[in-house]
Amino acid sequence: MNRRIAAVAIAGALLASCNGVQNVMGGDGAESANFIRLFTLFMVLCTIMYLIVVAALLAALWRRRRSGLTVDDRRHHQISPIVRPALIAWTALVVTGLTVLTVASFFIDRSNAATASKPAIHMTVTANQWWWDVEYNLPDVSKTLRTANEIHLPVNVPVHVTLKSNDVIHSFWIPNLAGKQDLIPGRLTDVLLLARKTGLYRGQCAEFCGVQHAQMALDVTVESKRDFERWYSAQLATAKPPATPLQRAGYRYFTTRECAACHNISGTPASGQVAPDLTHLASRRSIAAGALPMNKGNLYGWVADPQSQKPGNHMPTVGLEPNELHGLIAYLETLK
Amino acid sequence: MRRTTLILAAVAAVIVIAVVLGLTFLDRKTDEAATRQLNEPAALKAIPARAASPADDGNWTMPSKDYASTRFSGLNQINPSNVGKLQVAFTFSTGTTEGFEAPPLVVDNTMYVVAPWPNNVFALDLTKPGAPPKWMYEPKPAAAAKGVACCGPVNRGAFYSDGRLFMNVLDGHTVAIDVASGKEVWRTKLGDIQKGETMTMAPLVADGKVLVGNSGGEMGVRGWLAALDAGSGKLAWKAYSTGPDRDALIGPDYRAPYPQDQGRELGVSSWGPEQWKIGGGTVWGWLSYDPELKLIYYGTSNPGPWNAEQRPGDNKWTAGVFARDVATGHARWYYQSTPHDLFDHDDINETILVDLPTRDGKRFPAMLRPSRNGYFYVQDRRNGRILSADPYAHVNAYGGVDLKSGRLIPVAEKEPKEGRVVRDICPGPPGAKDWNPSAFSPVTGLLYIPHLNICMDMGVKNANYIPGTPFVGADVKMYAGPGGNRGVFTAWDPIARRKVFEIKEDLPLWSPALATAGGLVFYGTMDGWFKAIDANSGKLLWQFKTGSGIIGQPISYRGPDKRQYIAVPSGVGGWAGAIVSADLDPRDPTAALGFVNATKDLKQRTTKGGTVYVFALPQ
Amino acid sequence: MSSLYRNSLALLLAVAALSACEREERQSRGKPLGETVPASVSPDTIFPQTGKLPPLHPRAAAYERNASAIAEGQRLYSWMNCAGCHSHGGGGMGVALMDGKWRYGGRIDQIVASIAEGRPNGMPAWRDRLTEQQMWQIAAYVRTLSGQAPKDAVSARTDEMSGTPPATQTRREPTRPADSDQQ
Repeated sequence: MNRRIAAVAIAGALLASCNGVQNVMGGDGAESANFIRLFTLFMVLCTIMYLIVVAALLAALWRRRRSGLTVDDRRHHQISPIVRPALIAWTALVVTGLTVLTVASFFIDRSNAATASKPAIHMTVTANQWWWDVEYNLPDVSKTLRTANEIHLPVNVPVHVTLKSNDVIHSFWIPNLAGKQDLIPGRLTDVLLLARKTGLYRGQCAEFCGVQHAQMALDVTVESKRDFERWYSAQLATAKPPATPLQRAGYRYFTTRECAACHNISGTPASGQVAPDLTHLASRRSIAAGALPMNKGNLYGWVADPQSQKPGNHMPTVGLEPNELHGLIAYLETLK
Repeated sequence: MRRTTLILAAVAAVIVIAVVLGLTFLDRKTDEAATRQLNEPAALKAIPARAASPADDGNWTMPSKDYASTRFSGLNQINPSNVGKLQVAFTFSTGTTEGFEAPPLVVDNTMYVVAPWPNNVFALDLTKPGAPPKWMYEPKPAAAAKGVACCGPVNRGAFYSDGRLFMNVLDGHTVAIDVASGKEVWRTKLGDIQKGETMTMAPLVADGKVLVGNSGGEMGVRGWLAALDAGSGKLAWKAYSTGPDRDALIGPDYRAPYPQDQGRELGVSSWGPEQWKIGGGTVWGWLSYDPELKLIYYGTSNPGPWNAEQRPGDNKWTAGVFARDVATGHARWYYQSTPHDLFDHDDINETILVDLPTRDGKRFPAMLRPSRNGYFYVQDRRNGRILSADPYAHVNAYGGVDLKSGRLIPVAEKEPKEGRVVRDICPGPPGAKDWNPSAFSPVTGLLYIPHLNICMDMGVKNANYIPGTPFVGADVKMYAGPGGNRGVFTAWDPIARRKVFEIKEDLPLWSPALATAGGLVFYGTMDGWFKAIDANSGKLLWQFKTGSGIIGQPISYRGPDKRQYIAVPSGVGGWAGAIVSADLDPRDPTAALGFVNATKDLKQRTTKGGTVYVFALPQ
Repeated sequence: MSSLYRNSLALLLAVAALSACEREERQSRGKPLGETVPASVSPDTIFPQTGKLPPLHPRAAAYERNASAIAEGQRLYSWMNCAGCHSHGGGGMGVALMDGKWRYGGRIDQIVASIAEGRPNGMPAWRDRLTEQQMWQIAAYVRTLSGQAPKDAVSARTDEMSGTPPATQTRREPTRPADSDQQ
């Protein structure tokens, strides 16, 4: 009795993690919804087949016990009258079942391909160890937007994402929206995202890519078209100049010292291209590719010693003086 | 047996006759071509633009000889019959060993030698035997400038005007020197080496203004052309090559000949956000001037970085040619030869202003441009319309120029992509021809082009921008193109639109050309041979081995004794000669932005130098 | 004892012995407070006091033989645009780094000093742009370009088109000072 309760409790706990922001069964995107439909159909059909097979097995065992047939029995050639119709029925069931599954697969694939042929927005995601470089490519190149570790999508709009990698093989996976697609250095792959439900989701790297593969996540926000456009134009704006003396000190440090060698803040002399774009850092939900939620304490901890949070990642521990750190965080928090 | 012998003899006879006839006809054709050129009436040849090309007074006051950039000397004492006797009259050692590109200027029996870094200037008294120095000017540029000069700390020359010499100094200054005393009259700082800017080009002085441009397309520098007042050195106007129309001086007078260059604020809208600020388009090459139209013609450099994936859009106003009003700097027209440049195909090559003959006996104002992307452009210099754009070298990176839309046709397979190496791209980054200018002879009507036959493999990667460091994002390996020769000297007929003759050279040709009225053309090779060829046939008539490779402009002048002299700077370096002048290692094919692979043998063929050689006929 | 017991014991001892095979220590943080560039390490020159170059800092060995330091240095060499001037060791705007000729000294601490302080003919000063650990990593990588590092610490391939032989096959160049009249 106790063991059963324990089993149910464990199952419940496990299943509870199967909902929320990173949920394979979420079905919030067109492709994942299709996947769930197919998955459910397969599960149901295969469960029915499984139960029938188990029933037949039990029946066979039961009948054997009862009839007591032995190998020596001359009458073992005699077949039970139920076998023939049962076999015919079973074959028919299998054929029908497989046909249904094949046809369902075909239609689901076609549905996925249909959405993939008419993308409205184009994006490029370049994977690096261990962060995501996100770029929105509009036909007007002067409205290109570059950000890092987060994606905003308008709901019900097909978005085509071209995937590249700057170093090793990664994999792009937003379970709620679509399946995995590898990012391979030297090649271009792509994925089509069509979000059906607004909300906050989480994606992550799904191909082992080095020591911090586990902390390479992506914040995905699906919102209405209007909210998306508002977010986009806010992101296109260059960074506001620092206002208070502390922010100015931080700005001075950022642009003249180690930070600007790698990071870019549009509208300032800092134009490094090899690390996440920080122009609107303070508007993001998390830092360090989803490793830490965005708040003042985490910003302090991350900037002071990134190697303690994500050992082995490419941002060095600089050894900042306290005043330098205060100035930097004050400035970074203005980057909304 | 006898029959077989007879048959064999007959076949042999036929072969011999065929060979003899063939050779005869070959010879005949060349002679015919030569005769045709000589006998053609002048009305059917291009002539230099009248106002921009005054009669030769025996001096050489600007690197291009005249505003039309003909590099043609009207002196004819030295001709094909006596050039074989040419001998050294005197030499002058500058004491420097960097790439020596600047021509000596000769004004009123004084020769002015402009050396590469440290950019010293020497005045030599030609009236005394041995041409001893009269004065020496030392600008003392910052040594750190050498660290941001992409292709050697060279200098392409000074400009003489009104008793003064005007030149650029590597660390971003323009100076004016009084020729009588050798003292500096004014110095204006225009470039900032901390941002990667240097200055290497030869100024052009026109309409009381000194026109200068910056270098640094490989360093994320924003390019510009500035005009300084010749008297005081104060800035009159500055036209940027990227950014808002206000900065690029694109105003109501601007009329582009083709739709691709028409519109407002193209210097911003054809780039990703903020990219034009570090986008290149420097002006490190040649300027020409039409005194009648009062227009300056010049080209802009490549966009930065070399990795084109980082800068989507056409990237205006880079890799194209501008015509600007000399007084205000406002653009009259612009044509982008290479939109969204993928291969470092700058457009800074020389623009030769010629008047082409028309059917009704009039003259049509045109300009000739042997461009870096491999096409020979003949354009109307009033409005930029292209009359013809033919390949003058082996080109597989482009599919031609569409004369209707004016746009260069790209070839998709040759586009470099991140993480993938694209091979066999022709022409390579120095293009079909780099900065070294050609010479035009009104006698033959031909343009004499010393240029390259170089292809490359290119791999691009994400480039990081740190001011004062390179902003390139590419690994390149260059090698000889089809035929195996890395250099080629072409005589091109701009009206017939074809090569008249071609001389294959083993090493890349990095020296400019000189054409003379005596019917000769002079140029130098990278292992030091100074050559004189017949202007009609291309036949080598004389050559002399100087102490170091030649990459500098040969000139011709009339000395105080009324004799014709030919002078040439000898001192290998620049981008092509970097392996020698900077002592690079040939085991790394990507060194010097890929050129080392194409000049791996140069260290065995020549060494550093810095000497001016002056030749004359024996007395 | 039984053979099973003996075999198990032997296996256990072997595993214990192998687990002590720690190849190298990977420093991700570089001890920010104690890591400093040795003050004014001179190029090869005359030393009237001692007659020779000061001894090498003990930290140098930790970087020179460390594969992860060399790999990080290789990445930074490209990111910080060293490759833009020095190419893959052949040089260009900057001097060649693979030929064993050192104008300002080729010992690892001398290279770190050149990177940190900059040099008169155009080498930029990186002191405020890079952390000390990063400069030591780049210097360790630069040494591999002329074959100075042990072959088991270098990376066997580059991440981009280079054309030079892999570092595992680079011959060790004898270190020679370059012509000082080129200053």
